[in-house]
Amino acid sequence: MDSRNGDFNILLATDSYKVTHYLQYPPNTSKVYSYFECREKRKEDIKSKKVQYDETVFYGLQYILKKYLAGRVVTKEKIQEAKEVYREHFQHDVFNESGWNYILEKHDGHLPIEVKAVPEGSVIPRGNVLFTVENTDPECYWLTNWVETSLVQTWYPISVATNSREQKKILAKYLMETAGNLDGLEYKLHDFGYRGVSSQETAGIGASSHLVNFKGTDTVAGITVIKKYYGTKDPVPGFSVPAAEHSTITAWGKDGEKDAFEHIMKKFSTVPVSIVSDSYDIYHACETIWGEDLRSLIEERSPSAPLIIRPDSGNPLDTVLQVLEILGKKFPPTENCNGYNVLPPYLRIIQGDGVDINTLQEIVQGMKEHKWSIENIAFGSGGALLQKMTRDLLNCSFKCSYVVTNGLGVNVFKDPVMDPNKRSKKGRLSLHCTPSGDYATLEEGKGELEENSPDLLHTVFKNGKVIKSYTFDEVRENAHLKPRDWGELP
Amino acid sequence: MAEAAAATTAPVVASFDFNILLATDSYKVTHFKQYPPNTCKIYSYFECRKGKADDFKETVFFGLQYILKKYLSGSVVTEEKIQQAKQIYDLHFKQSVFHEEGWRYIVTKHNGHLPIRIKAIPEGSIIPRGNVLFTVENTDPNCFWLTNYIETILVQVWYPITVATISREFKKILALFLHKTSGSLDTLEFRLHDFGYRGVSSQESAALGGAAHLVNFQSTDTVAGLLMAKQFYYCQMAGFSIPAAEHSTIISWGRSREKDAFEYLLKQFPSTPISIVSDSYDIFNACKQIWGDDLKNCVEQRNEDSVVVIRPDSGDPVDTIMEVIRILEEVFGSTLNRQGYKLLPSFIRVFQGDAINLNSIEKILTALKNEDWSAENIVFGCGGALLQKLNRDTLNCSFKCSYVEQNGKGLDVYKQPITDPIKDSKRGQLILRRNTDGIFETIQEGKGNPEEDLLVTVFEDGNILQDYTLAEVRINAKLQAGDVQYLKPNAVPAQRCSLKEQS
Repeated sequence: MDSRNGDFNILLATDSYKVTHYLQYPPNTSKVYSYFECREKRKEDIKSKKVQYDETVFYGLQYILKKYLAGRVVTKEKIQEAKEVYREHFQHDVFNESGWNYILEKHDGHLPIEVKAVPEGSVIPRGNVLFTVENTDPECYWLTNWVETSLVQTWYPISVATNSREQKKILAKYLMETAGNLDGLEYKLHDFGYRGVSSQETAGIGASSHLVNFKGTDTVAGITVIKKYYGTKDPVPGFSVPAAEHSTITAWGKDGEKDAFEHIMKKFSTVPVSIVSDSYDIYHACETIWGEDLRSLIEERSPSAPLIIRPDSGNPLDTVLQVLEILGKKFPPTENCNGYNVLPPYLRIIQGDGVDINTLQEIVQGMKEHKWSIENIAFGSGGALLQKMTRDLLNCSFKCSYVVTNGLGVNVFKDPVMDPNKRSKKGRLSLHCTPSGDYATLEEGKGELEENSPDLLHTVFKNGKVIKSYTFDEVRENAHLKPRDWGELP
Repeated sequence: MAEAAAATTAPVVASFDFNILLATDSYKVTHFKQYPPNTCKIYSYFECRKGKADDFKETVFFGLQYILKKYLSGSVVTEEKIQQAKQIYDLHFKQSVFHEEGWRYIVTKHNGHLPIRIKAIPEGSIIPRGNVLFTVENTDPNCFWLTNYIETILVQVWYPITVATISREFKKILALFLHKTSGSLDTLEFRLHDFGYRGVSSQESAALGGAAHLVNFQSTDTVAGLLMAKQFYYCQMAGFSIPAAEHSTIISWGRSREKDAFEYLLKQFPSTPISIVSDSYDIFNACKQIWGDDLKNCVEQRNEDSVVVIRPDSGDPVDTIMEVIRILEEVFGSTLNRQGYKLLPSFIRVFQGDAINLNSIEKILTALKNEDWSAENIVFGCGGALLQKLNRDTLNCSFKCSYVEQNGKGLDVYKQPITDPIKDSKRGQLILRRNTDGIFETIQEGKGNPEEDLLVTVFEDGNILQDYTLAEVRINAKLQAGDVQYLKPNAVPAQRCSLKEQS
């Protein structure tokens, strides 16, 4: 099996209260069946945000299954460790030691759980079941929701991949409108988020989620996550170019900015190089240093090795427009087939500060209004891409919907009177494609009666084994944009 | 402490897979070629810059020790790791830019240890925004490029700093109301419970964030945080919890059997506190009918040690809590504490664990106080807002180069972008000191007196030189008298008798 976490203990990877739940289910419960969805919010409850996130990219479950749930995850030592921790943590003996011993002895430490899921990379409308979890051994009814805590963390790769894809739609739309094609789309939004996430592990997961939609990243951690847990036919799934940071400019001193620019350009003369230009005065840098002092050096560069000027402060839209205007005067643009201006091929810009889905939209709209093609620009995004989201963004939720007690199946649900948005689905669930091409979740076991429409949920994990695995190429294929996504009619 | 000493010698299990050469922003791989020729020192620092709004005026410094121990200490560079990095970067950049020689030098000259010095303020310290918190510099002139190579990984300390800071802001609010309405802060550290495990972005973040909350509180369901606190900060058991229901353990009984579920729980947990989520169908009916009538006797038989904690989990937090507590008072009555505020009987309490953030917690406590309820009646749970709804911009955490040396000559450097003065960085070598008024301040440009410097060398040439325990961190981070501000004078004095007696 893939990389095992020697330290990781699934018995200690749950919310504390779940340790006590085996004592709370109805007696003679032999099955607990739960599901995961990105709940819909009623239209009237959606505050007027610009982005609705009507559909989500399903991604990241495979990482969790392989890294944390597969194989022999229960051992004598882990049971002992958990017992000791919980004794102190609760100041009481509440831990289900015999339940875990049972798994160790009867199942050789493998989790008697079945997970069925929609294929990774699938783009599914809100409010549909995305995966289900149930115990396969009646003794382990309590195990289903024990693993909720770990499984619900799929909210994160789902949310990053979804938000990244929504930005791809915006870029595709404006690129198509201003350039007439989608060349370079996959490099238009670069991941700058490594330092701004909450941990190394998050960096790897988040970066890989962005790479479902794009190919430009500086978050190196994503590369190893994809290699280990998904695999690609290409040797690496993401790329980058040489680029400066403030320290490599300011280290030359305030009067040395031109020397810094020149030195770096020469060091990377045959490849694209991005040079941050706002250390002191972005406008002066563009007008005088780039526009005059070093102009001929720039003009010598080939189209495959452009200089990419990077502003990094000020209002994003205003700065981009002003920089384009200044550069446009010094390096006359040409008009493309769609009537938009494009800087000479040896010169481009990248905006990597203050970029989120909203400012991205503002900038491409503003550029279009000022007759600038989106070919001129690439974007970098850090915190907004990888950190600035929560489980509430897509209302990711895991709920029990069916139990078997005393041999009888019962459809169960919650329906809090004070919040209809929190109502959960009932019974055994399945996901189907309707004749019109939409998705529908069938509840209460009705999907089992559907002869013509197969369940799109497949068993991906059973009794400790990953049954079905997706390559990253398959994930990307499932998540690719369709013409309607950039505003084109089929 | 003997425990701490023993733990220092035992190596912390580093992530075997982890490769520091691959734990950087891609562009940094190319920076060794970009510094001025003959650069022999790069000196950088970390701060929580002052922002525009300044919601948080001071920050808790926490978490650097975790990063140092887990990722930077010991022999972190090997030939295998160099080969792995080279292979990946050649493909990632589609050309050879990787500084193979530079890294090999570290293997041969320094036995794979990073020739870096880090000076930092003691963990748990509370420092006003805009001050240096730690500095980083290379100790070997050939490794000038290394200082900012490790920026990416060091800057991730923004997360435990921010969680610990926000958690402490919660603590200030709770202390204020607890002090005013009960006169005692004994239970303060159990008033905000961490519910955030499922809502963070990864297992590792759960551990970091969970531990950061435990700098200020002792109440958590994020088990991962306990393990981090033990493994990296020598705390045997940093937090506690109680048995509690979740929706699945209630709804699995079926809609018509919510009462049976509640009753079963009381029987299964006769002598410990038990928290029972009560909003699966109708929170108000649950309180009035099930708790208030059907199971009233069962509840009344319990005591402080086996308290029943009623947990609503939907609807407007303020309105819901006020209505729930009103119903509970109607059924079970209340008494007055010494401050003249009302207390539910000791066998019953409420828990609000939904939609809690710094705003809503203050609203709830205010509403309770205005109705003469003591803050002792309620405990809060917080998930996303505690561990996930924050980012590097929350406290403007930033790492910048401030000093370089070329040919042995020093130069104070800085950025000063014309369109954003907030992004100005500090210049030169820095110290942190307290001035004559006792206020923390950063002295720039090498002008500080080293003897006044509060920054301590915590890491040098691969060795950890300071080892903070969670106990020490907690002492450094505890609330000061000034943190528990007095209420505004328009607060109405509490009535001296319960509403029940009046009517």
